[in-house]
Amino acid sequence: MITRRALLANGAKVAVGTVYCGSLVSFLTGCSSDDDNTTIEVLPGGLMVVDPILCVGCRRCEIACSWSHGISAVSPNTARIKVAKNLNFGPHGVQDNFHQQRGEEGDGTIVPETCRQCDVCMAACPQQAIYINEKTGARIVDDELCIGCGYCAENCPQQVITIDKYTRKALKCDLCEGKPNCAEVCPTGAIKFYTWEEAIAEVEHHEKYLTLI
Amino acid sequence: MNKEFGGWAGHVLRVDLTNNIIKKEPTSTYHNYIGGMGIGYKVLWDNHKDGITATDEENRLVISAGPLSGSGAICSARTTITSRSPVIRNHLITDGHFGGHFSPEMKYAGYDAIIIEGKSSSPVWLKIIDDKVTLEPADSLWGKGMFDTFAAVSKMMGQQAQVAAIGPAGENLVSQSTIQTQGGHSAGGHGAVLGSKQLKAIGIIGTGVVDVVANNEQLRKLDDHILGIIGANNQGVVPHQPQTWAEYSSSISRWRGGPGVKWGAADNPVDVGETPWDDRQKVGMRTSMAEMYFGREEANRVFKRPGGCHSCPIRCFCEVKNPKMKTEYKLPTDNISNTCMGFLDPWYVMGLPANSEKRTDIQTVGAYYMDNYGVWSAYGQLSHVMREFITRDFWKQLLPAEEFAAINWQQQKDLDAHFMEDFYTRLALGKQYKGSNVLGRFLGKGLHEFINEEGELYNIQDILDGIETPRMAGLIFNLEGDAPYGLTGKNYSVFLDKGVKVFNRSMVGGTHHASETAGQVGALLNTVFNRDPQCHSHINLVNCGLPYGKIAEVADKMWGAGAFDPVKHYKPMNVPKAKFAKWCLVKNVLHDSLTLCNWMFPLIVSPDVKKDYQGDSSIESQMFSLVTGIQTSEQELDDKAEGILQLHRALSVLQMQEIDQRNKHDVLTEWVYDLDPDKVFGDEGTIKMGREDMQLGLDLFYTEMGWDQATGTPTRATLEKFKLGYVADKLESLGLLPA
Repeated sequence: MITRRALLANGAKVAVGTVYCGSLVSFLTGCSSDDDNTTIEVLPGGLMVVDPILCVGCRRCEIACSWSHGISAVSPNTARIKVAKNLNFGPHGVQDNFHQQRGEEGDGTIVPETCRQCDVCMAACPQQAIYINEKTGARIVDDELCIGCGYCAENCPQQVITIDKYTRKALKCDLCEGKPNCAEVCPTGAIKFYTWEEAIAEVEHHEKYLTLI
Repeated sequence: MNKEFGGWAGHVLRVDLTNNIIKKEPTSTYHNYIGGMGIGYKVLWDNHKDGITATDEENRLVISAGPLSGSGAICSARTTITSRSPVIRNHLITDGHFGGHFSPEMKYAGYDAIIIEGKSSSPVWLKIIDDKVTLEPADSLWGKGMFDTFAAVSKMMGQQAQVAAIGPAGENLVSQSTIQTQGGHSAGGHGAVLGSKQLKAIGIIGTGVVDVVANNEQLRKLDDHILGIIGANNQGVVPHQPQTWAEYSSSISRWRGGPGVKWGAADNPVDVGETPWDDRQKVGMRTSMAEMYFGREEANRVFKRPGGCHSCPIRCFCEVKNPKMKTEYKLPTDNISNTCMGFLDPWYVMGLPANSEKRTDIQTVGAYYMDNYGVWSAYGQLSHVMREFITRDFWKQLLPAEEFAAINWQQQKDLDAHFMEDFYTRLALGKQYKGSNVLGRFLGKGLHEFINEEGELYNIQDILDGIETPRMAGLIFNLEGDAPYGLTGKNYSVFLDKGVKVFNRSMVGGTHHASETAGQVGALLNTVFNRDPQCHSHINLVNCGLPYGKIAEVADKMWGAGAFDPVKHYKPMNVPKAKFAKWCLVKNVLHDSLTLCNWMFPLIVSPDVKKDYQGDSSIESQMFSLVTGIQTSEQELDDKAEGILQLHRALSVLQMQEIDQRNKHDVLTEWVYDLDPDKVFGDEGTIKMGREDMQLGLDLFYTEMGWDQATGTPTRATLEKFKLGYVADKLESLGLLPA
């Protein structure tokens, strides 16, 4: 088993085509499981990660995500990247010491949540409606099969899946066929598309901002 | 899409606080008025009552967004708040605005506007979660500061709620109070209106969408077009300091982000480095303008990152971290988010000290108290009065002896930011302050209440006591600097004192980008609205940083030769200047109706040398067409905006019951003409205006606006041109329409 600590200490790389398991999977995907039996095959493509230091809270990523998917309408609820929820008070909601927490009402750090393309939603889906795009590695919702039950959204570790209130289909990051609209419009380069190999440091950096202060 | 048009959410919410009745009405009634400010003016016109004050139950307050808000169109998250304002003589209609994320959330909940009517018998807050709209008891919120109110409402609703609220100042019916959202985003002049209605806060969660007719390719194409034209804050299109990619630089530009600028208080400090105009992923770094308020050295120490509103890549806010806020000043936070007056007002109060750690403390601590209490300075007017009266040693004369002795004036002299706590507490608590508080009650009530027709002060206590025939305060011009003006020993008047910066004599409004930045054009803009005009249409050209010749070239093309004079090189009034002034106001109204940021738009210049620095004045109509699906030209949209401007003028006539706007409304203070006594209007090196020239300015401006020359009131023909025949009928029936 490769542990996250060992991996970082040894400067190991996560290579495309390799099967990884255990806590490394947990680290990369943000899933809580440390089950050594869980495996992940690293596919081409990668994942989106936001640097909370560079995020300036304009939500153009949410907007562009809405623009580029489905019906022509804008809402944080139809965006597959979530800024609005953590915007004012950070990832842990309104705490008594909110001034010390993240968010605009806290220390001014904005911590958006992005899909890490893990398999939790796939595993939770009773319809097998979520499949892998072999080109990008994105987990994609097949609208024909999706019945809007919401299991994927309930189980998503990052809480970035929404059930569209009008179409009753799951809305999930599809990496825009490898050319994510959200990253293209970010005015500070805070959100970037990383290969799995590059993502380790970025994910670790992001995770520091998810903790309760 | 199942709606007829994109953009508009489709409904307006009408909240009757007296009877606890909440109704939905179709927004389509207001489509001719675009949205935002247009809805506000129409509601106030339709519900006009003679002679009421801003805090009377019959006064209405409208919180409104336009069709672009929430659509993702660049810089489209402004919210307009329209009502009568107690800060203005006769409590006339004004509009305040804030940014943030409130209006998009309101749209996602399904509403273009919220009309607040009546008065609750006990404190309440308005809870909106899509169709579920309820009034909730606010006893536990009443008395809380702004930040705790945001937290408490969000805790009750859900962390993603967007909240607008009043602070203790609004609750205590302090005229100089705000309605705020998300910290430093504040709209001035109406906090006391909500306070009088006992409405503490509005919380919104919207789970719906804003429909947009165009597709992603069309929207991204326009977005990219705009990103090729937009500059930094106030449309600075050249960097503040030289950068390798830039042909020009200018100290006037707010394109501050560049080599040597740091987000130094970030956990991992960020060196901003060069910010080339075509680097799309540095657009949000180019403004980085904390050094405007703190100086380079201090800014690099305390600036964490830029911030701002939904959908805006420019980021004019400064997120600042000053550890001393907690350690030395015992505040619950060491972070503060604000821009412009939020930082400058405390600085004005303390006498405009040079950049230093002391200045940083004053501005961060002062901004905290202002925002937490919800105090509004009327674009600095309040703080100019405070400072000027200290300089003139007037407070000793004006305040009761024990109160004067209780105020720690030494702190103010020593530039000690501890002074901020008592100063803003006095303002916000008014009568509730423990101890004598003539100072706070005077400054918080609105200067117009305390002066006679000549701008001379009444006895403050007499006014506070409601004495019908108050005594005069007996203030005398007493500074050495008064001598060249021939004022020494004469009765003090705020209209004669350049230090307090009252620009519009009739409304007692503070100066805001007037003759100091754009000669007669700026001066004319400061005559039309009832408060400071909050107009940046002209600033977004004249302060863009391009050389004079380039700006003149654009101005000549737009309005005719001679439309633009550089500061302190003013030439006589002409028709192009009148056209320029009208254009500024029409675009301003357009933006406040769409609702789009007038601190950025219009974009008639660009940073692109290949475009010869030309911009595109039609972007607003391109956005409107793509979002709503209604193909609309620039001229057609401007015409709608001009109609709203005409309605505003007519409403001012109606509320004042005064046809003679020329002599009763559009009058400037004396210092504007008497400045620099050794110079005459037109001399190089002065911003002074000429009395006769300004009258010619009004003549030419009224001609452009279609207003009667003698009175400055719109004619029937003008009103009918903009489908406002019903307005003409009403004015005529009251004898308020020009013959």
